[in-house]
Amino acid sequence: MIRIDLHPTHTYKEFKLRTGKALPFGATIVPGGVNFSIYSSHATSCELVLFKKHEPKPFATIPFFDEFRIGNVFAMVVFDLDYEEIEYGFRIDGPFDPSQGHRFDKTKILMDPYAKAIGGRDIWGKDPDYSDIYQHRARIFNDDFDWENDHPLEVPTEDLIIYEMHVRGFTRHPSSGAKHPGTFAAIREKIPYLKELGVNCVEFLPIHEFDEFENSRISPVNGRRLMNYWGYSNVGFFAPKAGYAASGKFGMQVDEVKALVKELHKNGIEVILDVVFNHTAEGNEKGPYISYRGIDNRTYYLLTPEGYYYNFSGCGNTLNCNNPIVRNMILDCLRYWAADYHIDGFRFDLASILGRDQNGAPMHSPPLLETLAFDPILGKCKLIAEAWDAGGLYQVGSFPAWGRWAEWNGKYRDDLRKFLKGEPGLVGAMSQRVQGSPDLYRWQNRGSSASVNFITAHDGFTLKDMVSYNGKHNEANGENNNDGSNDNESWNCGHEGETDNPHINRLRNKQIKNAVTMLLVSQGTPMILSGDEMGNTQGGNNNAYCQDNEISWIDWGFREKNSEILDFVKNMIAFRKAHPALRNCQHFQNIDYMGSGYPDISWHGTKAWYADWSESSRVLAFLLCGKHAKGGTAMDNPIYVAMNMHWEMHGFELPQLPTDIAWYVCVNTDAEAGQDIWKVGQEKELDNQKEFLVGPHSVIILIGKRPAARQSDTQKTEARKNYQNKIKKNS
Amino acid sequence: MEIKIGTKEGVTVVEMCGRLDGSTSPQAQEQLLPLADSKCCMVLDLKECDYISSAGLRVLLMIAKQMTARGAECALANICDEVKDVMEMTGFSDFFKSFDDVAAACKTVRKKEEL
Repeated sequence: MIRIDLHPTHTYKEFKLRTGKALPFGATIVPGGVNFSIYSSHATSCELVLFKKHEPKPFATIPFFDEFRIGNVFAMVVFDLDYEEIEYGFRIDGPFDPSQGHRFDKTKILMDPYAKAIGGRDIWGKDPDYSDIYQHRARIFNDDFDWENDHPLEVPTEDLIIYEMHVRGFTRHPSSGAKHPGTFAAIREKIPYLKELGVNCVEFLPIHEFDEFENSRISPVNGRRLMNYWGYSNVGFFAPKAGYAASGKFGMQVDEVKALVKELHKNGIEVILDVVFNHTAEGNEKGPYISYRGIDNRTYYLLTPEGYYYNFSGCGNTLNCNNPIVRNMILDCLRYWAADYHIDGFRFDLASILGRDQNGAPMHSPPLLETLAFDPILGKCKLIAEAWDAGGLYQVGSFPAWGRWAEWNGKYRDDLRKFLKGEPGLVGAMSQRVQGSPDLYRWQNRGSSASVNFITAHDGFTLKDMVSYNGKHNEANGENNNDGSNDNESWNCGHEGETDNPHINRLRNKQIKNAVTMLLVSQGTPMILSGDEMGNTQGGNNNAYCQDNEISWIDWGFREKNSEILDFVKNMIAFRKAHPALRNCQHFQNIDYMGSGYPDISWHGTKAWYADWSESSRVLAFLLCGKHAKGGTAMDNPIYVAMNMHWEMHGFELPQLPTDIAWYVCVNTDAEAGQDIWKVGQEKELDNQKEFLVGPHSVIILIGKRPAARQSDTQKTEARKNYQNKIKKNS
Repeated sequence: MEIKIGTKEGVTVVEMCGRLDGSTSPQAQEQLLPLADSKCCMVLDLKECDYISSAGLRVLLMIAKQMTARGAECALANICDEVKDVMEMTGFSDFFKSFDDVAAACKTVRKKEEL
């Protein structure tokens, strides 16, 4: 079909132009040219500025003619552009009146908020040229990636085992052996490792374009350069971080990310992105003009009545998320990542900000959160909230959910840590946490899959450090150890930091195994911090946001050195996957609705059927009746878990099983390596079926199954029955 | 970009010399697409091609897909290390068979043609 609107209607200098399409926003390749469209409510005029790639000066500035503006949108097609070789920006004129929220500055070149690729920081850590008038440069990229038959995996949330990973830190350490360390391409190389580990979902720390040089400085402590390593500060929401791509220097980061997602999907691994919509890299009134501030400051940011920036994010500004324009931008952005990158889900950083109104007050039914919950394109995406913000809003258990939102369960982390180190008074709380926190989520009928359970995440101690340090050691961050959380609920097991003491090291390993075991037998969705499975350490730094060095990078040497931990984690993941009773999407009912003779979950202590709920208790055991697995739709073994966080050994009387099955041990964290966990199918039958001595600070898992000898007897009986039935039929 | 088209023992061999980027890929596409429509299998000799941009890779992929769709085959030969590397990083290499020399490439695509 021939279109009649493919020819230029205007010329400006050597450029051929015509009125553009207002939608979609951003730069879109169209037949013969590129359609540029940008929104601003308060701009008086707009110019398109074109650069040759990497060139300091623009080669053209093209005004949007009056007839190219529709409503508050400037849109035009520029013909015959070599789109691969150019970078584009805008100069926008309008009032500069901070008291009214306006900060237009026509001298600045502004990046397109919808830029799909951004240059300027193409190679990670390469010193920027600060004399450049255009630091973060919008580029045009073809969106025609060949996905073949790839499709988001849609694994039920409760079946996920999430692995939280920093793209660069995962492989940057020389010990990773990756061809292009610290990149998306390197993660592709490590897929066999992820599969061997058994995780089925990776959650990337922010991969949207950010400036690693933001607030960059030299550490007064050790002279090292400190950077914005974590990347929680967006430059552009639609563009992947070029410096994370091995092909970033060729401008091909878009293809590299998509190739990674496709390969992960091929291997049964979902991808969740950590998205930061609460603020941008433009900071407060002293910050740089990158994009939004100069395009429409009053629309994009939450401002005080005097025109200053509200700082609910703790990062200088707050995105005006419930403004209809900004809300649409966020929706467009997530739809783009879900549809064009096949992303399986999103974790929203400081998500409570997304529920504040335009004056910063928390809303009852925030339109943005509701829109995301019901959006058709995001319909099968996981939506996970970090349900608090830096302005004091804490919504764990009460985040507006519409049955769609899950939460990072901060209470799970805190209670587990306290229980692990042997604090009293935690048994009641623990009973809630291992059930998927019905105390937090049942009242809204949200189910256990609303709870993303974690003990460690990027923000805080690694698991190894949690058992090696009582306090944070953030001196290298250059803030006199004042940064980072003081509420770590950690325990060093008797010595602060590394030690040769074998007893302490044994206890630390045991505590790591205890933590992993509790995490992976809890209802809800477990999340593991990458590196924890091999005992990675940050030397006690619990806020390594600025450490682009060995402090943060995962040392793959631990894979061999701590093979005991790694083997344990692998087998524990396999255990969770083998047992559907651990992966219910709804909370337990504490009754026997299947007629099995056992309730779906029952509570025990050193005496069977009697849990000690007293303040001084540090022991708790529970039994999952396998016949209630997945709400009674799946069959599983009875699973008995006993947790003894007391410093003394205790004998646990075991609940009696039906006569045809017996107790088998799967995990005993008190046992030496090799005896601490048994592979699925190779569990060891207990000699003593009445009682188990659980060591100090130890966890055990038992399953009930039919003993091998009795199994063959039963098979024989069945075979005989079948034979007799056959004879009867024939006669 | 200079494109030389020849035949070697029944296989179309295309030598591509220069940069295959946004400005040269329309021309490459124009010259290569008719060949992709013919019955012959094809080898693209990239010995003299030192740079392939994203647009260039898309032209190669389009040719390869078109040929696969009609049961023929397209192979690459003599790719320089840098281009090979970019193709691996971005997943383009998954779509192509590539060989160290034209003879090996021809041998493989000829087999396909004989089937």
